[in-house]
Amino acid sequence: MDDKKAAILSEIPRLRRYARSLLRDRDSADDLVQDCLERALVRLDNWQTGESPRRWLFTIMHHLFIDQMRKVNRRGEAAMLPLEAGEAQAAPADQVETIASREIMDALQAISPDRRAALVMVAIEGFSYAEAANILGVPAGTLMSRIARGREELRGLLDDTSRRRSIRIVEK
Amino acid sequence: MTRRDFSERDIHMALDGELPGEERMAYDAWLEANPEMKAKSARYIADRAAMRAALAGVMDDPVPARLRQVVLGEAPAKASAWRSRWWLSAAAAVMLAVGGLGGYVAGVDSIARGGEGDDQLAEQAIAAHVTYAAEKRHAVEVPASDKDHLQTWLSNRVGLKLVAPDLAAEGFQLVGGRLLPAGEQGKAAMLLYEDAKGERISLYVTADSSETSKGTYAAETGGPEAVYWLDKGYACAVVGSLPPERLSDVAKSAYGQLVAGISS
Repeated sequence: MDDKKAAILSEIPRLRRYARSLLRDRDSADDLVQDCLERALVRLDNWQTGESPRRWLFTIMHHLFIDQMRKVNRRGEAAMLPLEAGEAQAAPADQVETIASREIMDALQAISPDRRAALVMVAIEGFSYAEAANILGVPAGTLMSRIARGREELRGLLDDTSRRRSIRIVEK
Repeated sequence: MTRRDFSERDIHMALDGELPGEERMAYDAWLEANPEMKAKSARYIADRAAMRAALAGVMDDPVPARLRQVVLGEAPAKASAWRSRWWLSAAAAVMLAVGGLGGYVAGVDSIARGGEGDDQLAEQAIAAHVTYAAEKRHAVEVPASDKDHLQTWLSNRVGLKLVAPDLAAEGFQLVGGRLLPAGEQGKAAMLLYEDAKGERISLYVTADSSETSKGTYAAETGGPEAVYWLDKGYACAVVGSLPPERLSDVAKSAYGQLVAGISS
């Protein structure tokens, strides 16, 4: 096996984690990773020696994700998923999720895809602002405002969830 | 020590490791002096920890063989077009936001062929196909030449946003469509397609469904077969007398486009 393929293989766990944060559903996320890997292999020659495989692969995957989100939203419908709907779209129970995990994943799905990608890229995947801005193809200022708004939105959604939960408890 | 005014922006920068080291002490002092900002910072840190914890398991999860195979060049070349429907879950999210059509995406990427079951939808779809596909001159009410009207009319009657799938890649051209009764008091749209040899298939779509299921169904041996999906608020069957493999390909393409159309 050549070095390039070995390098790509070792990035799969991270790609899967990023995809899962973008799409939540396990199979859908792995499908996105598979599309990304297929595209990467076709374009193996475009991968310049010395360029980080991680950055290269994340860029490919991000383009796939954003292109499809744009198509899905081409009529301008809000990309935001109301939290109630997020809860209704029950994730498959491939592993037992704690309530906290479920709530944060639901909230993450409810923020806009652009903000979600920016926030996850930096807060989970550990890319620097410069790297993340490069991968996402936006100026650093845009990236920063997406991160700030994404965090604020996430916090608001989580607060709403816990407020509703306490109401439910009171009602019982 | 550098002196400057800090703001909320710096909370994010500090959190993301973007605050220059020489500013760190001044920033910490600022945070101490501003309880509100300190609380905000603590909250963001807690949310991030929760996110990381929720996603940590993925890293330890064994990599699915199909992903390794892609890289190693051992992947079966087939089925790529269908598998690439991951974005349907994104579409489902939009639909949930727009109007409650969600849910049917679950399990969509593995269509079980040869499923068992006596099913009303499949029977109706096959009956309609047997009746109308055999008609040479009166197979449809509205011809493909009037496609826009056909789509609008059927969408309004059936109560779903119907887009007639483009099956040219599978060798089929739209002939036209008609409106049919479905179930107790529902309505169904039938779209008829024809290939170069005159072989016909039909798509039968109705909003009248409260179950969730999918499979294949044949009313009699040698007769046309239906590949169908049921979901709450939405059901679709593709009927034809094609080799199973080909019918399956057509059905997958049609279904993907119908779902994309409904979500558009």
